[in-house]
Amino acid sequence: MDLENQKRVKDIAEQFGPENVVVVLGAAEGEAAGLAAETVTAGDPTYAGPLAGVSLGLLVYHICEPEMKEEVDADIYDEQVSMMEMVLDVDEIISEMTAIREQYTKY
Amino acid sequence: MNNSVLKGAGYVLVHVPGMVTHHGTTQTTERIVNPDSDYLKQLPEHMRSYEDCVAYPPNQTYIGNLSIEDLGEVPEPWYDKKIEGADRFGPFGEIMPEDEFVLLMQICDAFDLVHLDKSFVQQVRPKLEAHPLITETMLSLIKEGHDEADILDQESHKAALPIYIDGRMVGYVKQAHDLDVNLSAHVIFENLASKASSVVTVLHLLNNSGIDPAAVEYVIDCSEEACGDMNQRGGGNFAKATAEIAGLSGATGSDTRGFCAAPAHAVVEASALVTSGAFKNVVVVGGGSTAKLGMNGKDHIKKGLPLLEDCLGCFAALISENDGASPEINLDILGRHTVGTGSSPQAVIESLVTRPLASAGLTITDVDKYSPEMQNPDITKPAGAGDVPEANYKMIAALGVKLGQIERSDLPQFVKDHGLKGFAPTQGHIPSGVPYLGFARESLMEGRTKNAMIIGKGSLFLGRMTNQFDGISFFLQANTKKDAADVAAAPAVIRDVPVIGVSVPDSELGEEAVRAAVEQANRSGYRATLIEGAHCLEQMDEWIQSGKIDAAVAAHYAFPIGVSTVGRIQTPALGKELFIATTTGTSATDRAEALVRNAIAGIVAAKSCGIENPSVGIANIEGGRQCERMLNALSENGYPIRFAGSARSDGGLLMRGNDLLQATADVMVMDSLTGNLMMKVLSAFTTGGGVETIGYGYGPGIGEGYSKKILIVSRASGTPVIANAIAYASQIVEGNLSGIARSEYEKAHKAGLSGLIEAARQKDRASDGERPAVAAPPKEVCTEEIHGVEVMDLEEAVEVLWAAGVYAESGMGCTGPVVMINEARSEQAHAVLREKGYIS
Amino acid sequence: MAILQGKKAIVIGDRDGIPGPAIELCIQSAGADIAFSATECFV
Repeated sequence: MDLENQKRVKDIAEQFGPENVVVVLGAAEGEAAGLAAETVTAGDPTYAGPLAGVSLGLLVYHICEPEMKEEVDADIYDEQVSMMEMVLDVDEIISEMTAIREQYTKY
Repeated sequence: MNNSVLKGAGYVLVHVPGMVTHHGTTQTTERIVNPDSDYLKQLPEHMRSYEDCVAYPPNQTYIGNLSIEDLGEVPEPWYDKKIEGADRFGPFGEIMPEDEFVLLMQICDAFDLVHLDKSFVQQVRPKLEAHPLITETMLSLIKEGHDEADILDQESHKAALPIYIDGRMVGYVKQAHDLDVNLSAHVIFENLASKASSVVTVLHLLNNSGIDPAAVEYVIDCSEEACGDMNQRGGGNFAKATAEIAGLSGATGSDTRGFCAAPAHAVVEASALVTSGAFKNVVVVGGGSTAKLGMNGKDHIKKGLPLLEDCLGCFAALISENDGASPEINLDILGRHTVGTGSSPQAVIESLVTRPLASAGLTITDVDKYSPEMQNPDITKPAGAGDVPEANYKMIAALGVKLGQIERSDLPQFVKDHGLKGFAPTQGHIPSGVPYLGFARESLMEGRTKNAMIIGKGSLFLGRMTNQFDGISFFLQANTKKDAADVAAAPAVIRDVPVIGVSVPDSELGEEAVRAAVEQANRSGYRATLIEGAHCLEQMDEWIQSGKIDAAVAAHYAFPIGVSTVGRIQTPALGKELFIATTTGTSATDRAEALVRNAIAGIVAAKSCGIENPSVGIANIEGGRQCERMLNALSENGYPIRFAGSARSDGGLLMRGNDLLQATADVMVMDSLTGNLMMKVLSAFTTGGGVETIGYGYGPGIGEGYSKKILIVSRASGTPVIANAIAYASQIVEGNLSGIARSEYEKAHKAGLSGLIEAARQKDRASDGERPAVAAPPKEVCTEEIHGVEVMDLEEAVEVLWAAGVYAESGMGCTGPVVMINEARSEQAHAVLREKGYIS
Repeated sequence: MAILQGKKAIVIGDRDGIPGPAIELCIQSAGADIAFSATECFV
């Protein structure tokens, strides 16, 4: 994840308390989604940014996951995301995200 | 429109491992943040040799030696595959080695900022001398160089940036100013690399297209660098700097920026410059970016791959006047992501792909090949960005599914049939749409494909000025000007037919009659599309506004005051064509002025239907004489009007009923009620009045400054009339009604139209007993009709409402004159009019 | 229990997946408050 974005994630988790924060991703494929999710839960796996060695354990979802789709207004979801459901490998994204959440999310 | 053509393309890669290590931002950042990192240590062993870089399959495709189809046959990943007998040079360009390129940077340096080792110059100079395209003038710019001791004495040039080749320091680039960061060694290095790579690419373009360098008149640079000092960072002009070294002595130029979308913007601009006739030959060029070298290097090394981002990528294209052979750029099909489009992927694809196609009556399957972002998946997949071109094709297909243009199960086949393998280096702007231009040109000229859509997209948020996304797309098609024999053999090309929307929601003859009219018109070669549903009128307005349709046929439309409508009919028995210049709205509140405005609109309509010099007659009705005097005055003052003479023995400009039936004049001028009456009588008399079956309907709204092309039919208009209205609509679009209207009103004003109108109004007011003018309140959407106001009182009623603060317009409803108001004002408006005695 | 309602949301969109502004619109409709939104670009 971009170093500047890591810094902002860290600051926001400190400011509002990690239990009040949820991270929503839009990554183009499973592996990238998993890496970003890992960064905001277990810490930066590339050890390059401010989240290296920082385990925030934030709740994290990809916008294409069913939990998100269920809560979002159906018309808005249809307009903003639905077409990409046909493009992205949603199953792979779900399995990557679920694995990370089960392993690292604390909230 | 006389389309411009894609006359040639050039593609160059420059293999620069030294610059990857020392100038790519991933590496320079790492050296600051983490100087001892494993990544920096591992870097050298992951660097490819020049030979490996040349033999890399996607690189051979980039310079045209390996077709995209053949690249697709090479199993992925490609980094461990080599093309046997791979050549440095290809039909589109070359893969240049780093040493030659460094010397080329010195040639391109006009300010003595590139200092090279003497022995290095001696060693490389013969290589450039042997280069087939480097000119004598360029070779004469090579400097002797400096002693090795001077080069290595870093104390004397601390702020300079060293140039390494194979680990050896062969020179440096000096800062151009000690304090100005915009002229620092880093910036100068980046800019000179961009310029030098542009120069060699332009040389290939000139060679490939066979054009005389002096014939190039304009150059547009669309790279991602900025040149200028601290007072004008980004002042430019890379284009002219490149043109100078490349020997384009007759060219001027400028820079276009827009991140990755810039090349597509630049081609559209070039095409517009050529189409307008401003310049005959325009070169678009994008140079390479040293900053992006090794951008995803960490991911590549982590996965044990070679460092694949080791090349500067460059392209150039020549856009010229139509030569009757090269592929055409059809600017009528022009996708644009606008400020209002939004950033959702479907909105983006709709704006760039399906909307421009729909405007030409096409669907996604009508385009043979799409070229969106053509990044090499070998590079992007390990970096977590997936297969970018494939994702783009899936998006186009997915939107096609949503729009009902293809079945969901056809999605994979669509990607296969209409997609291309990605093969371009991740140099930002370079992969965006334009890598396919070279192959597209070949394929379209050989007739293997008939068209292609080039799509440029850009992420503006990187500049921190806006979160807007951006993109623009254009349409390439096989040349349409080839001689007839060729055309017969060539695959069909898109005919440029206006798209007409049809919205008649409440036809008295039922939906079927309307649908049949649309089908009939389409069979006759027109392109009509039915607009249905509860909000079809709003939809129609939106589509007209956005250009999705060129004109519309509608059963109702509340034209603003000042708009006339011109009906078109065949006379009974004789079948002569007649334009009835009247209005379904309000041409003017003054009767004589209204007739004059109708007359001008009638002339505009007749001319846009191809009648060069239509004759004009005025129906013998109240106000006719005054209209005659005003038209005579205009004619005498220089607005040429061909007056018809009555066929009756006493002649004259005023037309009687007999003249109407004989179509003595091409354009018959009438007031709104008479016009409505005549249209209905003449179009429905053969059916006993039940259905209107003759003529073209009530015609287009035409007025000063009014540009929407909306043609009126009635709820009683039958299938033939609606089908004819579609034809009428198509004719006025192709006949340039807007342009003719502008020119006619201009001529009329020059001949004193405003003064005549003012005089008529004053006279009218005087005879009315000084009815003071009332200003209209702010305009509102008027959808409710108030019936029952006497026609002679109509304008007064409107003004009474205005005085009461209710915005109102007068209009012609289906059963007679109406006052139009906003629905929300219904109660108030009725009360006011009832109180004043206008309605009961 | 709702995941997004009343939460501070961090949006990390992707230029080649779902961009940040599109995600923002979605999760705002589910009652989340956007604390930060960015779009990443790999190309």
